[in-house]
Amino acid sequence: MATFDGFEYDVIIVGSGAGGGMSAHILTEAGIKVLMLEAGRDYDPVEETPMFNENHEAPLRGESTSDKDFGYYDGTVDGGWSVPGEPYTTADGTEFLWWRARMLGGRTNHFGRYVPRFNDRDFKPFSHDGLGVDWPIDYDEIQPWYDKCEKIVGVSGNNPGIYDVPDSGEGVLQPHAQPRVYELLVEAACEKLGLPIVPMRRAVLTRAIDEREACFNATHCGRGCSIGAAFQTTTSVIPWAKNTGNIKVVTDAMVKEVHLNEDGKASGVTFVDRKTKQDVRVDADIVILAASACETARLMLNSKSERFPNGLANSSGQVGRNLMDSTGADINGHIPALKGRPRYNEDGLAGNHLYIPWWDYEGQDSGTVNFKRGYHLEIGGGFGAPDMGLGGSADGYGKSAKQMVRDNYGSNIGFALRGEMVVNDDCYCEIDPNVKDKWGIPVLRFHWKWSEEEINQVAHGLEWGEKLIKAMGGYVTSPKRTPEEAILAGGQIIHEVGTTRMGDDPKTSVTNKWGQTWDVDNLYIMDGGVFASNPHKNCTITILTLAMRNATRLAEQIKGAAS
Amino acid sequence: MSKKYTSRINRRDSLKWLGSMTSVVVIGGVVVACDAPDQPIPEIKEGSHWPDLTFDPITGPKYGQDPDMLNPTTPWPRTLTNEQLDIVARLCDIICPEDEGGPSATAVGVPEVIDEWVSAPYKDQQSDRVLILNGLQWLDDEASRRFGGLFINLSEAEQLEIIDDIAYEKQLDVAEFEHATMFFAKLRTLVLGGYFTSPEGMRDIGYMGNTPIMGDYPGPTAEAMAHLNDIITNLPA
Repeated sequence: MATFDGFEYDVIIVGSGAGGGMSAHILTEAGIKVLMLEAGRDYDPVEETPMFNENHEAPLRGESTSDKDFGYYDGTVDGGWSVPGEPYTTADGTEFLWWRARMLGGRTNHFGRYVPRFNDRDFKPFSHDGLGVDWPIDYDEIQPWYDKCEKIVGVSGNNPGIYDVPDSGEGVLQPHAQPRVYELLVEAACEKLGLPIVPMRRAVLTRAIDEREACFNATHCGRGCSIGAAFQTTTSVIPWAKNTGNIKVVTDAMVKEVHLNEDGKASGVTFVDRKTKQDVRVDADIVILAASACETARLMLNSKSERFPNGLANSSGQVGRNLMDSTGADINGHIPALKGRPRYNEDGLAGNHLYIPWWDYEGQDSGTVNFKRGYHLEIGGGFGAPDMGLGGSADGYGKSAKQMVRDNYGSNIGFALRGEMVVNDDCYCEIDPNVKDKWGIPVLRFHWKWSEEEINQVAHGLEWGEKLIKAMGGYVTSPKRTPEEAILAGGQIIHEVGTTRMGDDPKTSVTNKWGQTWDVDNLYIMDGGVFASNPHKNCTITILTLAMRNATRLAEQIKGAAS
Repeated sequence: MSKKYTSRINRRDSLKWLGSMTSVVVIGGVVVACDAPDQPIPEIKEGSHWPDLTFDPITGPKYGQDPDMLNPTTPWPRTLTNEQLDIVARLCDIICPEDEGGPSATAVGVPEVIDEWVSAPYKDQQSDRVLILNGLQWLDDEASRRFGGLFINLSEAEQLEIIDDIAYEKQLDVAEFEHATMFFAKLRTLVLGGYFTSPEGMRDIGYMGNTPIMGDYPGPTAEAMAHLNDIITNLPA
């Protein structure tokens, strides 16, 4: 038992995003006292989300700037691709982008709410293709936890009976939203080409649960959601944890070091109070790191001791290694038949109602495709809120130019490939020996290199994207690019994981299958760092699910030890 | 011997990129306006008289990474002169006049949007500022060359004679008008974007969202479905 500011607690959780938030919920429900430390400011979506604000009300019509990389209304506070005074560096020849959010709830406040779950093969990639490593857990073990997690998160979707999209348990999913015209046209193209297309699993409520309302089909999820329909920890697990009375949340607390005691156990952390700029040391019986894959690795690498000169719990040398993102590439097309189509409200749940899951497992096994890991295609299009980009579709001037914009509105369809990369030795982060942030904390330096696996996968995706566009009678409007040119930068899809991976062998992994570090048994990792591979399925629901499972086991152990 | 810059993209693509300024992509369900890559400014060819003025960078206040999103404000001062605003307003009327669908761009305040845009302390807008301010100067230079007066004082017919030479993508291939055509494409994008993002423009284009629908999302209307089914029936084999 330790004390901070008059509050007694057992466990420190660093971070309040998906992993930290879910861990806090599970532990506090079990009656365990938690001190949560969040580097960013306090944030309340109920009070702060710009629901219904329109582009014309915002500076520069809401367009993106270096202050707001995803546009003025994006929910990210004090973050984006850069954080003033808190740089990161890249090795020569490396292109890597790191999205951070300095706010309670972290990146859950703005994520796309795409929550596809992994299948059995996703957990055993090495066994299937000899690349990378297997997870120390299998789908059967995680399946009931996915069900439990999806149930409390609130997921809309269905069970389409497709291998890439494993069934959720009965009664778990909420009804999914009806597709729009452009998605139905893609569906028709898929039918012609023999591709599957199914409802996207969304962490967006279509039925009210607990105190959260069902989506009212307006206002983009990326802004955050004041009614709680789009899942974020700040309208769900964190308020629930607070309701138990078992948590104290400290914001503006940038953790810089985890301390080790003489017994080799984690004894607490030091954080910088961002308001007073003072270091504050707090003790704990158990420390959970959930600061995001890269921030957690940074913290461990910066926590050096005699026992761990290369960073805390890093006897394997794997902390910071095995960094993975999703592959990303876009291809856009114009569909003349959609010109001037009848108007109706296409907001829906924002984002995708339908998407194209990975379809060619057979080709991977037989070798007819020249890459080992799959991807999915997300679909862009529709009558979105008008933005400054609309004006780009005209030529000339006057009434005819004005009419061109009207005609073209809603007639473009794009595909965004999101694929699995294979873990490789060239992608990792380490401490930059020369650069510190404004708090005096050494920063991360990233190294990145795609392999032929990813390049071949992107080539395949672009080819199919073009086939889809042509099957709809359209033509490609994206500039002609090689896959090397088309693949987005490492980190750009914001699915970075793997830097503290779990495994069966302490020599090649940082944690066991419970997120408990091999080297320090009261130090746990509950963020995406524990991923052993990075399937093409967006990572958040699996971070939440693993945190739920591992925190449940931790709670049982704490209570068992106490009784 | 000076090395000539060779762009990887051809000039048609270049105009498209310039015009499209933002391309809508979807990252994790977040619609993201991606900045186009830095626009290479082609060398000035013989027979062209692009002013090629340089400007001190704008260092005015930015709104920062934690603005009050519910009550947005724009903290930087405007920089267009009254004379420049007059030409911009005239161009707004030429590019986006009143028609059956809605009012003119000037009537909905787009000149102020352009002023806000070119005065902004962000990289993309500053690069647009260089192109646009040079373009406005070019219009006066060209007006003076052809008709012996400032652009704003020309007759409508005289103004349109100049505009006709720079308003179309194909004019990129005419050395004399290459830069001015790039300028006009950028301005057109901003003017039409400014118009269709205004409340009147949103109504004009038929955006029906941003309004709560309680209960399940109803999907397409019968009319929209009939239109789609017709397309599907006629898809290429």
